[in-house]
Amino acid sequence: MDPILIGAIGAGLAVGIAGLGSGIGAGITGASGAGVVAEDPNKFGTAIVFQALPQTQGLYGFLVAILILFVFKTAPAWAMFAAGLATGLAGLSAIGQGIASSAGLGAVAENSEMFGKAMVFSVLPETQAIYGLLIAILLLVGVFSGAGATSIAALGAGFAVGFAGLSGIGQGITAAGAIGATARDPDAMGKGLVLAVMPETFAIFGLLIAILIMIIL
Amino acid sequence: MKKVKAVIFDEYIDDVIRELHETGLVEIYDLSERLEDYEWNSILEPSSSAPYIRDVTGLLIKVSKILDLFESVNPKSSSISDFLNPKPIEKKRVPNSHNDVMNYVKNIVSQVDKDVETLAEKLNTLESEKSKISQTIEQLKYIYNLDIDLKYVGDGKFVSVYVGLIPEEKINKLKNELENETNGYSDVLIGQKNDVNDDKVPSVVIILNEYLEKALSILRKNDFEKLNVGDIEGLPKEAIQKLESKLKEIEKEIESIKEKLKTLAEKWYNELLVIYELLNIEKERAEVYTKFGKTERTYYIELWTPKFNVDKVKKIIEEKSNGYCEIEVSEPDEPEEKIPVLLNNPKPVKPFEMLTEMYALPKYNEIDPTILIVPGFLLFYGIMLTDAVYGLALTLAGLWMWKKIGQVSEGAKKLGYILTLAGISTVVMGIITGGYLGDFLKQFLGIDIYKMGLALVNPLGESLFIKNGPIAILGFAIAVGLIHLLVGLVVGFCENIKRGLVEDAIINQGIWIFVILAVILLVLIKVLAPGSLMIGLGILLISIAVAILASMYKGYKENGIMGALLGGLDITGFLGNVLSYARLLALCLATGGLAMAVNIMAKLVNESVPVVGIILAIVILIGGHIFNFVMNGLGAFIHSLRLHYVEFFSQFYEGGGKKFIPFKSNREYTTTN
Repeated sequence: MDPILIGAIGAGLAVGIAGLGSGIGAGITGASGAGVVAEDPNKFGTAIVFQALPQTQGLYGFLVAILILFVFKTAPAWAMFAAGLATGLAGLSAIGQGIASSAGLGAVAENSEMFGKAMVFSVLPETQAIYGLLIAILLLVGVFSGAGATSIAALGAGFAVGFAGLSGIGQGITAAGAIGATARDPDAMGKGLVLAVMPETFAIFGLLIAILIMIIL
Repeated sequence: MKKVKAVIFDEYIDDVIRELHETGLVEIYDLSERLEDYEWNSILEPSSSAPYIRDVTGLLIKVSKILDLFESVNPKSSSISDFLNPKPIEKKRVPNSHNDVMNYVKNIVSQVDKDVETLAEKLNTLESEKSKISQTIEQLKYIYNLDIDLKYVGDGKFVSVYVGLIPEEKINKLKNELENETNGYSDVLIGQKNDVNDDKVPSVVIILNEYLEKALSILRKNDFEKLNVGDIEGLPKEAIQKLESKLKEIEKEIESIKEKLKTLAEKWYNELLVIYELLNIEKERAEVYTKFGKTERTYYIELWTPKFNVDKVKKIIEEKSNGYCEIEVSEPDEPEEKIPVLLNNPKPVKPFEMLTEMYALPKYNEIDPTILIVPGFLLFYGIMLTDAVYGLALTLAGLWMWKKIGQVSEGAKKLGYILTLAGISTVVMGIITGGYLGDFLKQFLGIDIYKMGLALVNPLGESLFIKNGPIAILGFAIAVGLIHLLVGLVVGFCENIKRGLVEDAIINQGIWIFVILAVILLVLIKVLAPGSLMIGLGILLISIAVAILASMYKGYKENGIMGALLGGLDITGFLGNVLSYARLLALCLATGGLAMAVNIMAKLVNESVPVVGIILAIVILIGGHIFNFVMNGLGAFIHSLRLHYVEFFSQFYEGGGKKFIPFKSNREYTTTN
């Protein structure tokens, strides 16, 4: 069977699942954006910027789909499938990013000086999606030639980094709380970051196992 | 920071304050809290605002009223060219002594007032007349088809006549009741229904005054709606016409007054902004007195000032008070968290202070991380955006922000400077990785720069020099990450040693420095002497074991057995920090990959859609690349910041200092030089 036939499933998963995450995330931010704009129409631009953040996951999914279909179409079938799976599932972190961005937007609407800080917090839950993208690329370019990167075992790597990427939802919730704390007390920034980065530990576990699967098998 | 304490003779205090306000060298310490203390209270009493505050606030209210009026008749228009190329405000030279300033202000206010006052009053009366007439017209419209001369309407000597509206279904009831109660000495004339009011009919009620009270209560009960037509003569139709022509006249008059005000606004507006600013500065000066302590003839003030300004401040106080003063300079006598912090970096690094401030200012006596941010930030930004054309666009945008908008906004100036440097870094990285609008050259012009050897590394494949691009960049990213963390750890180590916290230095930073050095050693051995790889590996394992034990010990000291178990997991945190730098590769690929996706789509459209395909392709190219540039430009900025705030700062930096806020006059429209 032509490997691209299975690869196409991967491409579909990448765009589909990541799109689901981005859609929900952007929806959450958009809802608070609509409220902010109703109060002050001048804040439309700010709302757009914050709503753009949870959309990047969808873009990564789209990117990987294009890479599978046009660039790395000769990669092993299961590598393509797993690459799509990793990017797609990890893209669900957009839900968390949407929650964080919505809090960030609220804080900026109250006090525009919060922009930079709110941005930094809102971008935290994107790490998971980036890890997913990273594993996808490592699978596609064929860095590792063992069974873990070329056979059905590659799905394990995809699941590891993909599902661990759901930690982004928790991270988004923490980040949203930290934004609120920082808005009240600017000095809470450092401690807030430490707390908000905690849920990322599990994404790192996922990333490590994914890499180990690719290297060892 | 130093604290300058001074006792100044009251005749000269205002001169001293004015000069300090102009130079902006000091932050004024608020003594009011301390003066509540009994011991202090027995020698000093709290000072109230300067006596001229009432004068100043009075004028301020007046000026802001006139400014509002001017803004309502002559709204400011801002064109796009103003936005793209803002003109710096021309500063007006103004006097500085209090009396001169007040004379200057009063002179202008009286001139403007003379011109404006009568016009403003007239405008007011005309506006109120206008609204009154419009209301009357509104009322008359309900009865426009009623055939009665309105001069008869009102309370007469024997009879009262009312016009009004009555609900259709109550007409008969009203007629009957009135007839009964007034013994026939009343009459109700019903007019024709018209289209202004759907369910109510215009009507006239005539009542003999003797029965007025009873009749009125009947009218109320039956929802008769009385209309107030005032003293108007003639038929409603004619009256409406007359009033409408009068309204037009008034409107014309209002227009002409507004025109006059507009010319006045053009003449005086800028001048008023100048005096508005002057008054605000005076107000700030008057209010700062509340922070001082006072005796019968002297004021006591305390000032924060950076070390290098102490002599200047002393000189100002001595000169302006003619020597009638007593100055003492001391080390900060407050707890550390109350001492203000001022960052003092060389000029090329100064704009980056905004990145430090966004996180938190350093605590007093803590290291200023600004200069450490600069190289990492620029390098990371370049790696994450990696496209020569995007970099060029960013450089130009940054230059425009720095040079043009920067003239009117300090924040834009700093950000523009940072973006310009980031843009240059992106161009360099773009050339190294061969990104020119992604793979535009290959897709549309058939030029493969990687095969020609014009780029060092291909992020998505092989180049002439490096076979596996992504892995090379990943290795580079991790290496950069390790070095970045090492820098942070070493700085933290030295800081802890300086404070005498040797144990903290070793447990928090030393062990990890050891681990990183072991990794570097392993890599060196692998390259130079592959035979003795096992030794390097052994050292690394030992360092990791030591690190785990040390962090368990640290956890045990803080939280007992549970802390020790959790402390053993610190190694994953460290690993996470290192792996986090892998985002450099991922974001680098994301920019190039999305640019490629845009190119592929454009190419597909161009080849598959006949005739309009090429136009669509160009639209996709322009829109897609702008989108990709903005998204990834923003992403690169925030992710670079994140790597510094989360991974880098956690090695050595805490922050939380109080900002030094100088007592400085904010002059946008004026200058004293």
